[in-house]
Amino acid sequence: MNRIFRRTLLGMLAGALASTALVITVGQPLLSIVLGILVGAGYSASLKPTRETYVDNVMAGGALGVPLWGLISVIAVPVFSSRMPEWDAEQMRLHFPALVGWVIYGAALGLLTQTFSDLASRFLGPESEPELAIPQIETRIVILGGGFAGMRTAECLEAELRANPEVSLTLVSETNALLFTPMLAEVAGSSLEPSHISTPLRSTLHRTEFVRGRVTGIDLEGRRVLLASGPAGGDGMSAGEIAYDHLVFALGAVSNYLGMANLEKYSFNFKSLLDAIRIRNHVIEMFERADRELDPATRKALLTFVIAGGGFAGVELAGALNDYAHGILADYPKLRRDEVSVMLVHSRDHILPELSESLGRYAQERMAARGVVFRLNTRISDARAGVVILSDGEIRAETLVWTAGTAPNPLLKALSLDKDKRGALVVDDTLAVPGRAGIWALGDCAAVIDGKTKKPCPPTAQFALREAQTLAKNIRKQLAGEALQRFHFDSLGALCVVGHQTACAELTVPFARTYSLRFSGLLAWLMWRGIYLGKLPGLERKIRVLVDWTVELFFPRDIVQTIELK
Amino acid sequence: MANTQAAMTMQPATELSGRAWLEILVGLFAGGLGGALQSVLARTSLSHSILYGLFFGLAFAIFFAKRATSPGAGLIWGLAFAFLVWIVIPAGAALVFSRSMGSQRMLIDAREHFPQLVAFLICFGMPVGVSLGIWGALHPKVAQVKFNWGRAIIAGGFAGTIGGLIFSGWVASGNYFPLLAGYGELHVSRAAIIILHFSFAVMIGVTFGILFQRDVRGYGSCMGWGLAYGIFWWFLGQLTLLPIVAHQPIDWSADRGAAIFGSLVGHILHGLILGVVYAALDRFWVRLFIQSDPLNREVEGSGVHFLRSMGWGAAAGIAGGIISSPVLFATGILPRVAGLGLRGFALHLVVSALIGVTYGLLFRNEAASLGHGVAWGWLFGLIWWYAGPLTLQPLFLTGECDWSTAAASALLPSMMGHLIYGAVTALTFLLLERRFTRWLLLDPRIAAREARKIRPVGTPAPALWLLALGLGVLLPVLLG
Repeated sequence: MNRIFRRTLLGMLAGALASTALVITVGQPLLSIVLGILVGAGYSASLKPTRETYVDNVMAGGALGVPLWGLISVIAVPVFSSRMPEWDAEQMRLHFPALVGWVIYGAALGLLTQTFSDLASRFLGPESEPELAIPQIETRIVILGGGFAGMRTAECLEAELRANPEVSLTLVSETNALLFTPMLAEVAGSSLEPSHISTPLRSTLHRTEFVRGRVTGIDLEGRRVLLASGPAGGDGMSAGEIAYDHLVFALGAVSNYLGMANLEKYSFNFKSLLDAIRIRNHVIEMFERADRELDPATRKALLTFVIAGGGFAGVELAGALNDYAHGILADYPKLRRDEVSVMLVHSRDHILPELSESLGRYAQERMAARGVVFRLNTRISDARAGVVILSDGEIRAETLVWTAGTAPNPLLKALSLDKDKRGALVVDDTLAVPGRAGIWALGDCAAVIDGKTKKPCPPTAQFALREAQTLAKNIRKQLAGEALQRFHFDSLGALCVVGHQTACAELTVPFARTYSLRFSGLLAWLMWRGIYLGKLPGLERKIRVLVDWTVELFFPRDIVQTIELK
Repeated sequence: MANTQAAMTMQPATELSGRAWLEILVGLFAGGLGGALQSVLARTSLSHSILYGLFFGLAFAIFFAKRATSPGAGLIWGLAFAFLVWIVIPAGAALVFSRSMGSQRMLIDAREHFPQLVAFLICFGMPVGVSLGIWGALHPKVAQVKFNWGRAIIAGGFAGTIGGLIFSGWVASGNYFPLLAGYGELHVSRAAIIILHFSFAVMIGVTFGILFQRDVRGYGSCMGWGLAYGIFWWFLGQLTLLPIVAHQPIDWSADRGAAIFGSLVGHILHGLILGVVYAALDRFWVRLFIQSDPLNREVEGSGVHFLRSMGWGAAAGIAGGIISSPVLFATGILPRVAGLGLRGFALHLVVSALIGVTYGLLFRNEAASLGHGVAWGWLFGLIWWYAGPLTLQPLFLTGECDWSTAAASALLPSMMGHLIYGAVTALTFLLLERRFTRWLLLDPRIAAREARKIRPVGTPAPALWLLALGLGVLLPVLLG
C-alpha cells in the first residue's frame, strides 16, 4: 500500500475518533467530525511515523490544536457561514471553549495516530520505504575545460537539469580549480596569495562529476574522450576514456609564439597560476642576484623585465611588476631605482587596443610616469639567453614574459571539425558545431558569431560566461525537443588596472550599447576592484582577497621565495 | 550511538523493570513534595494536594521518564504535561459541566481555574520534570552529547546580561522593570533596582545555559526555548518567588496575572533575546572550538548555506506575506503599518521578505518534515507577534512599548495573521530547501549531513511547541 495513502487512512480514522472533543466543545457534530477527519488525514500524512512515540505525538498534536483553533473556529467557520471572521478580542474569548476542544482534539489525534500506526505496523508490516531513486543515466554530458566557459557551463547545466536525474554531467580539466584570471597580475605582483584567486571545482560544482586529467584525443565516431592515464574502471571501459552523448568544448586558449621556438624557450608564459608564481619568484631571484652582482651592465640586465604585448594581460602585468619591483627596492639598499626597468613592447602605436584610443593614451602616460618604459611599434623577433631581440635592435634582459598572442587549444588541430583561420572551432549561433549532433563549443576555443549582429564575438571571459548560459539552455532544450536559442550578447565594457590605485574603464550605456562611458584614475580603480571582487566566485575567496588588499595598505609586499626556480 | 542503543536492547528485562520502578518512586516522591508545596503556597488541602501530586508524578514517570534525559528536557516535558493536564481536567471538565451556561460562563470558569494552572506548572510540572530529568541525566540510557559547564555558564550568563541590557534600555526610561514587577513597590535606590534587575537576568541566562545546552540546536529552536523559559519564569518569578521575597501573600488569580501582564511580555522578549544571543554565543563556541577542527569539516561551508538560506527565506517570506495579507488587511494591521494601496502592499511584501530572511537564518536547520516545519513556523509567527506589533511597532511609531492587556487584546486579531504567515513561510522554505537538495541527497556525504540536521526522536521539541504555542496564545486570551 502506498505509504501516504496508508498514513492518510490511519489519520482519518484517528481524526474521526478524536473529533469527539470537538463535538463536545464546538458543537455542530457533522462539521466537527468532517474537520476532525480532514485535519487527521493531513496530520498523519505530513509526519513520518516513528514507533512508540506516543508522548511526542500527544504534545505535537496538542500544539497543532492551538493554531487550528484560530484558523478554523475563529476565521474559517464564520467565513464559510457568510459572516465576518470573529477575531475581535471579545469574540475570540467567546471561542475559548473551542480552544480547549482543539487542544484536546490535537492531543487525542496524536495519541490515536500513533496507536493506529503501531498497530498497522504490527499487523500489516512496516511502511514501505520509498526506494532511493538510483537514476538510470540516459544522457551523458561531458565538458572539456575548467576555465570560465567550462565551469559556468557546468553550473548552468546543473541549474537547468537539476530535476532530471537521467542526465549525468562530467567536467574534465587539467587543473582542479578555476583560475580568476583578471587578478592573475596581482599574484605576479605579490599583492594576492595565489590560492585566493582560484576556486576549487570540486567544491563549487554540486552534481557534476569532476575528472582531473589531460585530454589526449577525442573519438568523435565512437563518442569517447581519451584521457592521458587512469586506473581501470568498470563498464568495460578504462578510466582513461569517458563516453559522452553531448560534448562541450571549453578548452580555452594557449599562448601563441608565432612559430618562434626561442621565444617559447626563453620567455615566461602568463596563462596559469603557476606562471604567475614563477614570474614573482623569478623577479625576487633577479633582485637577489643583482644585489651581489658587481658588474653594472649585468646588474641592469638582471633588473630589466620585458613584457611582450600591450593588451590587457600585458599592461596589467607591467603595471603590477613595476609597482612590485620598485616597492621591494627598499629591501635591497645596494640597488638603485634607475637600474630597475619594466619595459612593455607592443607592435602598435598605442596600448590597450580593446579600449578607446584616449584611454590607451591615458594608461600609457600614467604608466610611463610611474617608471614603465614603452617600446611601441616594435616587435620581438627572437630571443637568446639574457637577450631580447627586437625589430629595431636588441636589449639585455634576463626576464621576458610573453602575452602577445593566443591560439585555441592545440588539441583541436587533430579533430576533423571545421575551424576558422585562428584554429577555433566553427559553431553556429546556437553554439552547436554544424553537422555534428551533440558537439558544442564556446569560449576562446570557439569561433562564435553573435546571433543578432552576425559579428564575431571576442574571446573574453565576459562573453564566455554568457555563451555558457545559452549553451546550457540549448542542451536542455535539445533534450526536451524544443527550439534552440540563438546567442546574443552586448559587451558591458572593459576595465584595466595600470598601476597603484589607477585604472581605465570603458562601460557601455545600458539600453544604448553603442555609447560608452569612460572612467580613469582612482574611480576606475575602485570600480575595477568592486566589480571583480563581486565576480570572484565564492564568498570565502572574496573575504580572503579583501583581507589581502587591506593588508597591502598597511604592510609592504612579501619577498619570500616560495618555489625554487630551475 | 547505535551501538549503545543496541546494547540497551540487550539489557535484562528485570534490570529495566527495576529501573522503571525507581523512576516511578522518584516521580511519586517529587509529585508528593510538589503537592505539599502547593498546599503551602495556594493554601489548599494538604491531603488532596499530595494526592494530586502523587497522581501527576506517577503518570509522568510512567509516560515521560524516558524523555526526561536532562533537567532541562525534564522541565519542558513536565511543564507541557502540566499544561495539558490543566487543559484536559479543570478547563476541559468545566466545559463539559458548564456548557449549557454559554461561552461567557465557560471563560469565567477557566479564569477561576487560573490558580490551578499556576500550581500545576510550578508545583507539579517543574519539580517532577526536573527531578526525573536529574535522574535521567545521572542514569543515561543512551550515550549523550558531552555537557560543557563552562560553555553553559559563560554563554548563558553573557546572553542573560545582554538580554537584560537591551531590555532595560527600553523600559528603564519608564522606570518599569518587568523582571521585578512581581515584587510590587520596591523601596530601594535606583542603583539597587538595576543591580537586582541584572542579577535576575543573569540568573535566568545561566540556568538557561545549564538546562538547555543539549537541547538547543540552532537560533530558531533557541528562541523557542527562550520564549517558553520566559513564560515559565513569569509564573515562577513574578507570580511566586518575588511575592515570597517581598513577604506578600501569593496571589495566583487571573486578576493578578492580568495586572502584571506587561511583565509577561517582558519575560517573553527577554527569553527571545536570551535565546538568540545564547544561540549566537553557543554557535560561536561550537564554530571556534569544534567545527573549526578539520576532522569535523562539512562538505559545504556554512557560509554558502547561510547565503542560500537567506534567499530561500526571502522567497518564503514573500509567499507568507501574500497568503497572510488578507487577514492582516482585514484586521487593520497592514494598513496601519504599510498604508493602503499598491505601495502599501509592496512595502508589506518587502517587510515580509526581510522577516522571511530571519526565518531562513534562524530556523534553517530545525525542521526535518513538513509537519515539524509548520510547527516551527507557527512558533516563528507567534514570536513575531510578541516582538513585532506588540513591541517593535509601537516602539518605532511612538517611542514607547505598550504591554498592557488592553493593547494585547486590540492586537489579538493580528495574531492569526502572524500564525498564518509563519506557517506558510516555513512550509515554503522547506519546499524550496527540499527542491534544492533532492538531487544532492544522492551524494552520501550530503545525505549524512542532512540526516544530522534532523532532530532525533525524544527531544523536547513537541513539548516545547505545546507549551510555547499553548501558553503564548492562551494567556493573552485568558487574561485580557
